Amino acid sequence: MRIVIGEDSALFREGLSRLLTENGHDVAGTAETADALVDVVRAVDPDLTIIDVRMPPTMTDDGARAAVALRAERPDRPILMLSQHIETRHVVGLVGTGGFGYLLKDRVLRVGDFLDAMRRVVDGGSALDPAIVAALVTPTRADDPLAALSAREREVLALVAEGRSNGAIAVQLVLAERTVESHMRSIFQKLRIDEAPDTHRRVLAVLTQLRQ
Amino acid sequence: MFVAAAAVRAVLAYGAPSIDSPSYWPLTTALLLPALLLGWLVVVRVPASPIGPALTLTATTPALVFLAEDWGATAQTSTPWPAASAVGAVAVGAWPWLFVGFVTLVLLFPDGLLPGRRWRWIGAAMPVSAVLVTYVVGREGPLTPVPVILIVVAFGGFLATLLAAASSLVVRYRRGDRLTRERLRWLMAAAISVPILLGASWLATALGIPGTLAYTWFLVAMLILVPGAIAVAILRHDLFDIDRLLGTTVSWVVTSLISAGVFATVVLLVGGYFPDRIGVTTAAFVTALVLLPLYHWIHRTIGRLVDPDRTVALARIRAFVRQVRDGEAEPEQIEFVLRSALDDPDLRVLLRRPGTELVVPEDAIALQTGDSVVGALILGTTSARRVRRAREAVVEARLPIEVSRLRLELREALAEVRSSRSRLMDEVNAERQRLERDLHDGAQQRLIAIGMRLRSVQYQLSPGVPAYRELDEVVETLEHAVAELRRIAHGVRPSRLDDGLAVALRELVADSTLPVDLVVPELAVGESAATTVYFTVGEAIANALKHARATRISISVGVTDQILRAVVRDDGVGGAKEGFGLTSLRDRVAAAGGEFTVESPPGAGTSITVEVPCAS
Repeated sequence: MRIVIGEDSALFREGLSRLLTENGHDVAGTAETADALVDVVRAVDPDLTIIDVRMPPTMTDDGARAAVALRAERPDRPILMLSQHIETRHVVGLVGTGGFGYLLKDRVLRVGDFLDAMRRVVDGGSALDPAIVAALVTPTRADDPLAALSAREREVLALVAEGRSNGAIAVQLVLAERTVESHMRSIFQKLRIDEAPDTHRRVLAVLTQLRQ
Repeated sequence: MFVAAAAVRAVLAYGAPSIDSPSYWPLTTALLLPALLLGWLVVVRVPASPIGPALTLTATTPALVFLAEDWGATAQTSTPWPAASAVGAVAVGAWPWLFVGFVTLVLLFPDGLLPGRRWRWIGAAMPVSAVLVTYVVGREGPLTPVPVILIVVAFGGFLATLLAAASSLVVRYRRGDRLTRERLRWLMAAAISVPILLGASWLATALGIPGTLAYTWFLVAMLILVPGAIAVAILRHDLFDIDRLLGTTVSWVVTSLISAGVFATVVLLVGGYFPDRIGVTTAAFVTALVLLPLYHWIHRTIGRLVDPDRTVALARIRAFVRQVRDGEAEPEQIEFVLRSALDDPDLRVLLRRPGTELVVPEDAIALQTGDSVVGALILGTTSARRVRRAREAVVEARLPIEVSRLRLELREALAEVRSSRSRLMDEVNAERQRLERDLHDGAQQRLIAIGMRLRSVQYQLSPGVPAYRELDEVVETLEHAVAELRRIAHGVRPSRLDDGLAVALRELVADSTLPVDLVVPELAVGESAATTVYFTVGEAIANALKHARATRISISVGVTDQILRAVVRDDGVGGAKEGFGLTSLRDRVAAAGGEFTVESPPGAGTSITVEVPCAS
C-alpha cells in the first residue's frame, strides 16, 4: 500500500520507511512538520497516513491537529497515529471513527502486530493501543456506567476497543467465541446500547462519548 | 489729613508762637507714622478691606487731637492763634477721640464686618459718647446737679462703649472660624502687651523713672505693636506660630506674676522672724521650686484655652497611640487619624518600600529613622502653621507610623519570598517538562530507531539461524528499556498532564488496587497547579493504600474563584501523623503558593485537602 509518514525525527522516519519498504509497502512521501504533512497527503493521496502526535512547529500535538484537519477534508481517510506516550486530547474524537489507529511508538518493534494494525486501519477498522484503551475503559466515577461491568467484561471491552475481532479475542482470552459473544451482549445491556451491525465501531463510539 | 495736621503742628512747634517743648513733635509724629504706613500698606494690598482705612484712622485721629492741643496751647503764648482759647477748651476733652480708630478697628477686625447688626449701636455710640465727653470736659460753669449727671453719663457711656467694643472680640472669637481665630490671636498677642506695658509704666513711674519715658513705651505698644499685629494678621496671618507665641507670652507673664507673689508672700511671712538675708534666700528658693512646675501647668492650661485645636489634635493622636499599644487599633489607620486630627482630608502618609529610594516631594514632611528617610507626610493644604502642626503630630504619631512601616516591610519581604519560591517551583516544573520531552523525543526515540534497524537486519537473515533468535531477544530488551524510560519520564512529569489534569488523574487512579471514586471535570489550569495537585493526589492515594487500611477512596477536584481544590478522602483508620511524606507534600503545595490541610481523627478516615491558586 502507498503510505505517507509524518515524523520529525529523521532516525525514526528512515527506520520506519526502511521497515515498511522491506515489507513490500510503498512509502510515497514523508514530512517533518505538520503543515508540510497536510500538503504531502493532499498531493499524494496515500492509502494510509502514519503521523507522529508531537511534531513541529510547536512540538506539542501538531500531528494530532493535522490528523483532525485531514479527516475533516476526507472523513474516511485511514490514519495511524504514533506517540511516545498516550495523549488523547485531540485524538479522542477520532477514536470512535473507522479507519483510525493510535499506537505507542515502540509497538513498531513488534513488526508483525504493527503490520496487522496497519491493515485493520486501512480496511476501515480500528487499532488502539492497550494503554489508551485501558484509559478509556477504566471507570472514574461511582456513577460511571463502566463501573457496572465485571472484570472479564471490561477485558473483553478493552480488546474490542483495540480493534480485535471476536475470534481474536476468544483466542487471546482462551475462551469459546460464543462466550465472547455473550459477554458482548451483557456489556451492551449494562451500557444500555442497542446491538448494532457494526458492533466494534459502536463500542468505540460509546467509549468516546463517555470520555468526552 | 494726617500730613496737614502734622504740618500745622510742625509750624506750631518750630514757628513763631513756639509752644513749650518742640521736641515732642518728631516723637509723636514718629509714633503715629507706623500705624499710618501699615494702614496704607493694608489699603494697597487688600483694597477691599476697611481695616486699612481704620488703621490710618488710628493714626489720624490722634494727630488731630494733638493738633487741637497744640493749637489750644498757643493761648498761653505771646502770639495766640485764632480762636486758640476755644480750640483749647475742646482740646482738653478731646482725648476720647484717640480711641476712635481703635474701637473702629476692634469692631471691624478682621473681616471688615460688624459681628452682628446690633453692634451698629456700639459703632454709633462711640462718636456720640466721645462728643459728649469732649463737651462736658470742655464746658465751663458751676457744677450744678445737671452737669454732674451729664458728666457721669458721658464718662459711663464712653467706658461702656469701650468695654462693649472690647467684648466684641470675645464674641467674634467664639463664633469665628479657624482663620478668624488665628487673626484674632495676633491681635490678642499684641493687645496683651498694652496692659503689661501700662503696668510696667506705672511701676517705672513709681520707681522714679520719668513718666514720659515710661508712657512712651506704653504708647509704643499701643501705636506700633497693635497696628503691626493687625497688619500682620490681615496680610500674613501665617507668619509664625502665633498660638505658641501667645501661649508662651501669657504663660510667662502669669508665671512671673505668681512667682513674684510667692516671693513677696514668703518674704513677708519669713521676714518677720529671720534676718533679711535668710528671708530673701528662702523666698528665692521657694520661688525657684514652684517656678518650673507652675510654668508647665500654666502653659498647658493656657495652651488649651488659646489653642484648643492643637490640644484636641494631639490628644486624638495620643489616644490612638494608646489604642495601638493595647491592640485595639491597627497602626495602619494612622493616616486616617492624622487626617481627622489635622483636619486635612487630603493628607497622605507615604512609607518607603524596602529596597527603594523614597523621593520626598516638596512641601512634604520627611519621616526619619536615624539618618535615613523612611517616609513622608504629604499635606493636602500647606501653610506654615499647618506644617508646624503636622510636625508636632508626626512626633506624637511616631510609634504607629514606624510600626506600619515595619509591617509593610515584613509583608513585602514575605510576599517576595513567596513569589521567589513559586518562581523556583515554576522553574523546576519547566525543567521537569523539558526533561520528560528529552527522554521521550531523544533517548526513547533513538532506542526505537535502533530497534527498527535491528529488525531490518533480522529480515535479511533466514529464520533458522541462531542470530535471528538472538536479534529477537535484543529487540525485546530494547522494548523493556523503552518502557523503563517511559516510566522514568512519567515519574519526572506525567505526560498525560498534556491532556489535562482530569485525564492524568483518571489514568493515575486506574492503577489503584482500591476502588476510587474520582470526580473531576475537564479543567484548564496552569502547569504548576496541575502538577502540584497531581503529585499530591498520587501521594495521598499511596498513603491511603500503605497506611490507612482503607476500603475505598474518594477524590473530588474542582476550581472555584481561581483556586484549584482537590480533596482526597479514605475510610481508613485515620490518625495520620505529620511525617516525612505529609511534610514534603505540604512543602510542595506551599511552594506552588497553595495550602495543604490534613484531617485525620483516629478511626474516622483521613481527608487531605490541597488548594492551589490557578490563574489560567
